Amino acid sequence: MMETFRILAPLAWRNLWRNPRRTVITLIVVSVGLYSILFFAALIEAWADASRDRALNVMTGSGQIHTQGYADDPTIGQVFPQAGGELLAYLEGPEISGWAPRVRVPAVVQSEYRTMPLTLIGVNPTGEKAISIVPDGIVEGAYLSGPDDPTIFLGQSMVDRLKTRLGKRVIILAQNSDGTLAEQSFEVGGIYDGFSEIEDMLGFAGLETVQTLLGAEGQLSEIAYRVTDEARLDQVGHDLGQIIPELDVQSWKDLSPMAAMAEESMGVAVFIWLWVMFILMAFGIINTQLMAVFERVHEFGLLQALGMRPRMILLIVTLESSILVGIGTLMGIAGAVATIQAMSGGLDISFLAEGAAMAGVGQVLYLKLDWGQLIELSIIVWLLSVAVTYWPARKASKFSPVEAMAHVS
Amino acid sequence: MLGNTLITLDRRAVLGGMVGVALLASSGIAQAADAKSLLRAAYDNWRSDASQTTVKMTIHRPSWERKMTMISYTRGEDDALVRFIAPAKDAGNATLKLGKNTWLFNPKLNQVVKLPASLMAQPWMGSDFSYSDLARSEDILKHYNLTVTGTKSSGGHKVHVIQAVPKRGAPVVWGKQVVKVRDDGIMMELAFYDQDMALVRTMSTDRIRKVAGRDFPVVMTMKTTAAPNEWTRMETIDAKFDVDLPNYLFTKSNLTNPRD
Repeated sequence: MMETFRILAPLAWRNLWRNPRRTVITLIVVSVGLYSILFFAALIEAWADASRDRALNVMTGSGQIHTQGYADDPTIGQVFPQAGGELLAYLEGPEISGWAPRVRVPAVVQSEYRTMPLTLIGVNPTGEKAISIVPDGIVEGAYLSGPDDPTIFLGQSMVDRLKTRLGKRVIILAQNSDGTLAEQSFEVGGIYDGFSEIEDMLGFAGLETVQTLLGAEGQLSEIAYRVTDEARLDQVGHDLGQIIPELDVQSWKDLSPMAAMAEESMGVAVFIWLWVMFILMAFGIINTQLMAVFERVHEFGLLQALGMRPRMILLIVTLESSILVGIGTLMGIAGAVATIQAMSGGLDISFLAEGAAMAGVGQVLYLKLDWGQLIELSIIVWLLSVAVTYWPARKASKFSPVEAMAHVS
Repeated sequence: MLGNTLITLDRRAVLGGMVGVALLASSGIAQAADAKSLLRAAYDNWRSDASQTTVKMTIHRPSWERKMTMISYTRGEDDALVRFIAPAKDAGNATLKLGKNTWLFNPKLNQVVKLPASLMAQPWMGSDFSYSDLARSEDILKHYNLTVTGTKSSGGHKVHVIQAVPKRGAPVVWGKQVVKVRDDGIMMELAFYDQDMALVRTMSTDRIRKVAGRDFPVVMTMKTTAAPNEWTRMETIDAKFDVDLPNYLFTKSNLTNPRD
């Protein structure tokens, strides 16, 4: 068997270069096709990461703690005491990289001209900065200075709709913990922009200010936390569940099912792209290989007449294709790796900033080299390409020697 | 009904106010105290009132106009019942205000709805008045610093111009309100300014007539500055003051099943 290969391999190699132009074209088809698959896979992975990070960095964090009934009735009635004891120790521990206590209630914001629904969130600025990117989205004014800050931090589009602006007063109306109406005037202290998913809905004020307003001193409706190691997300959720069995601990996969689903669907998208590209590549490969075979009808006839078995002819043509596609694959890998490495510092997509923001992605994508995925995709492409050349190869092996030798090309 | 907005001052109160003006000269503090006592006295007096009025409300928009008639009962400062009697489409709709709470009754749904806080700023019956306009009578006394900024003579009466600037931290959206009150206790104009001191909307008295033996602003119009072709006019057809109103009027059961 090895003996046969030793004879056939140089033969196949030389055959490839009998028509260098055709070979080069096929190489280009294969390498560009594979390159696009690999690059697209890396890009879509980066996109998925970016959109997940984005979804989590805005408000969600890695997970959140609420009372059991909060999801059904997110009001000031659903509160738990401020973190202390074992819970505080755990949140400050090594598993958690940052956490933010919040009071989060539905409210109404009123300006001279408009009344709008709003989610009022009392936050501790230090905690918030550790887990959320909203404080960085500031376009005017300043972020809250402390948990007792009396101002409110609103989104640009909310400010526009209220026809108010920095430094003006708005009134916040919300249900108090005793069921009556609490109202307070807040000066617009800062304006954020750039988070299309939340800016219409969220207004941030100092944690203590909101607790006082709602008559819920020392009470929280939410703790958002960020884990140090994403791989230990479930473990952290489990640990927290042990510490506070009466509360509801949810990871981002439960809180943002869309983000979790997006991540899964990205993998499917890569394979769809792979098939699309592969079908295009297959046309190119089959076409050139069929041409190569038909040019050599006379030769195949002669080889058979000299005693070569049809199976050997099949093998030699397949071997040619494998070498050809193999080289193309290696070139594709090299190109993709080089491109991804070159872009590992971040791909700036701010030129499509608006669309990207709509898709919930930041302006810079960070491409990562995932060798496992790269090799998996390359082998799939290589095997499939070799498989489609079975057709021309089989054709070559089916010529009758007499007819073939009579054939003049 | 429009208890908060239609301020009918008693002569005595105004007199007291005038004495106040004379005594307290023109220093800023004295003026503030004076303006406050002027409005305070007005409210104190008005609170003791019980009234029954029939009012025609005209809502005007560029492309349409509709007229509704209602009977309203007020008791003290906090309680009011407004029931629409015409046109047939709207008849039976009623609003009951007891203290801080407001309920709505819709006969077609046959249901009473307690008005949530979030709807307080919504238009009342599609007019230019909001529910909070109906409900917040004392806001101007509680949350504003008041100053008499001028006094004008008009048609044999003196009209005091009171400027109301919200106190620090007061839960009001307005930059200021300017109230014009005639010396016999009739509100001539109430203007709302935004925080840039631009006029947002104005309620003005268009006609004063003797009703039940006293001068009364029978036609009042609410206009929004941004939409000059839109206004709501309240025309008092009939009014009785200091009437004895039965307690059952101001109950939720009466809201649903009127006894009269």
